Amino acid sequence: MDTFFQQLINGLTIGSIYALVALGYTMVYGVMRLINFAHGDMVAASAFVGLTIYTQVMGQSATLFSVIMIFLLAAVSMACVGVILERVAYRPLREAPRLSAVVSALGASLVIQNGIMLLWGPQMRIFPELVPQVYWEIGGVVVSLIQVIILILSLVLMVALYFFVEKTRMGAAIRASSIDQDAARLMGINVNTIIATIFIIGSSLGAIGGLFIGLYYRGITFNMGWQYGLFAFVAAILGGIGNIPGAMLGGMLLGLFNAFIAGYVSSTWSDAFTFILLIIILIVRPTGILGERVAEKV
Amino acid sequence: MKNLNVFGYPLFIVFMAALPLGLDARWQEVAISFLVFSVVALSQDIVLGKCGIFNMGQALFFGMGAYCTAILNNEYGWSLLSTIPVAILIPALFGILLAGPIMHLRGDYLLVTTIGFNIVFVQAVQNNLGGVTGGPNGIFGLDSLSLFGHEFTDQVAVYYFAFAVMLLTLWIMRNLEHSKAGRALHYLRLDPLAAESIGINTRLYKIFAFGLGAGIAGLAGTVFVAQFTAVSPEGFGFMQSVLFFSIVIVGGSSVPGIFLGVFVMFVLPEVFSPLATWRYFIFGFAMIAAMILRPRGIWPAKFGNIPKFLIKESNHGG
Repeated sequence: MDTFFQQLINGLTIGSIYALVALGYTMVYGVMRLINFAHGDMVAASAFVGLTIYTQVMGQSATLFSVIMIFLLAAVSMACVGVILERVAYRPLREAPRLSAVVSALGASLVIQNGIMLLWGPQMRIFPELVPQVYWEIGGVVVSLIQVIILILSLVLMVALYFFVEKTRMGAAIRASSIDQDAARLMGINVNTIIATIFIIGSSLGAIGGLFIGLYYRGITFNMGWQYGLFAFVAAILGGIGNIPGAMLGGMLLGLFNAFIAGYVSSTWSDAFTFILLIIILIVRPTGILGERVAEKV
Repeated sequence: MKNLNVFGYPLFIVFMAALPLGLDARWQEVAISFLVFSVVALSQDIVLGKCGIFNMGQALFFGMGAYCTAILNNEYGWSLLSTIPVAILIPALFGILLAGPIMHLRGDYLLVTTIGFNIVFVQAVQNNLGGVTGGPNGIFGLDSLSLFGHEFTDQVAVYYFAFAVMLLTLWIMRNLEHSKAGRALHYLRLDPLAAESIGINTRLYKIFAFGLGAGIAGLAGTVFVAQFTAVSPEGFGFMQSVLFFSIVIVGGSSVPGIFLGVFVMFVLPEVFSPLATWRYFIFGFAMIAAMILRPRGIWPAKFGNIPKFLIKESNHGG
């Protein structure tokens, strides 16, 4: 039973990271119908930017202020990267065949991933210990301070995002654009602004996810973006892509699934099990758990 | 297009047939790789370019063919050439079996599912499934190419084996284009609904394309084993699939475009080997630029002998 609760905590922690990253995928997909393959690499880049801010700007101090600054600066820089990415690589291809945009996204992913490698080197780097190593043991289950912070902060961000999308004018515009871009434009919504906003929000959430990955796993590599990005994307699809609560649910479910597979079956097979789960869910429910069953438009 | 058929292809084939004479050992090796990867890219083109199935897992079938050959040679002592039927049939059967339940998925879901297949395959091979795949190190020290007991140690023999496989693939693709199946695939890609309504069994043809592409990629795997006399999981990962996918789309799903893509992706890095660390950084920019400047690919494919005035530009293609 201890293993169960331990993996539950671990799974929720990983799951909330996946959920944060998945939100970036799902929001971009919702409006642009494009898999932003570069998103995962931006997540990785964020961890490296955080590392550099810590060593170069903050003088390796881990006070509360400097930690908050690291999070803010990393989020802002990734938001800038996201907006530039959209402007340069995706906007010229909005009217092009679908697959051209996919290849452009793959190209952007290669650029960011190898840009990290050229700037920070191909070897694994150790992320700084920004949060003190505090552990609590509750009935045989170990909970760390980092896990609590990740869980609470992700939850706050997700609730804030939910209210932003559901209750504000901007959120209504985002939802309208994801249903029908042309109609939204006719209603006076500036779709370009909406897309830029989505890239800002998605990339900042991804940036925070990237810092969490650094904090939780410590070792960061230039090509980790594909692994975490792919998992987060799977999470978005599990929940029903384009659906914001779906991404949160999918992320949590995938994190729990991974943790239980690692705890009870085998960690060397976890990727395979994740994709087998995805394939089974897509065969049973082709649009994900919370996805609407829409007929293919003709 | 006509000039290409009359002069372009024969010239290219003659050039490729004479090529190993003018190359030293290292460049012969590069030329063999070019042929092998061209065959895989062409097989990807049948699935992605001709049929329009969003498949980003072609390296899986390439790897499956290679592993079939390697395992049969290593465990049971079959000669490399005698494994060819198995290396074609097993990937093709797997392709058909895997394609069956997922063909109804919408484009992007299909993309991720095929990525998933590829990752499951690589992980299964790494974990030494069945104790025959050799784990993360792969299988090495395999036999070299032999025919009727005569062993070819010269890699020129491997080159001509690869060349023959490429010619076979080109011949299959040419016949496909002029056959009932090729026409069905073409209309199916342009508009699946319209294709279905004029009596094309879309599901059957999609699975057919997937199986055919998988079989050809599997054959390329045998050539790959003949070249390196070894296999390891890295050669067939997600990254490779991404490259094959990009080559087909950037090339414009035409034969010359694909050869150009394979040349740029696999031969140019050998020419500029001091820039090896910059390789994918530059490719990334090149992919974005190529797509923005030529959204339909660098050398877009044309289909059949349809007069120009009947062709209406549409957004459905590609």
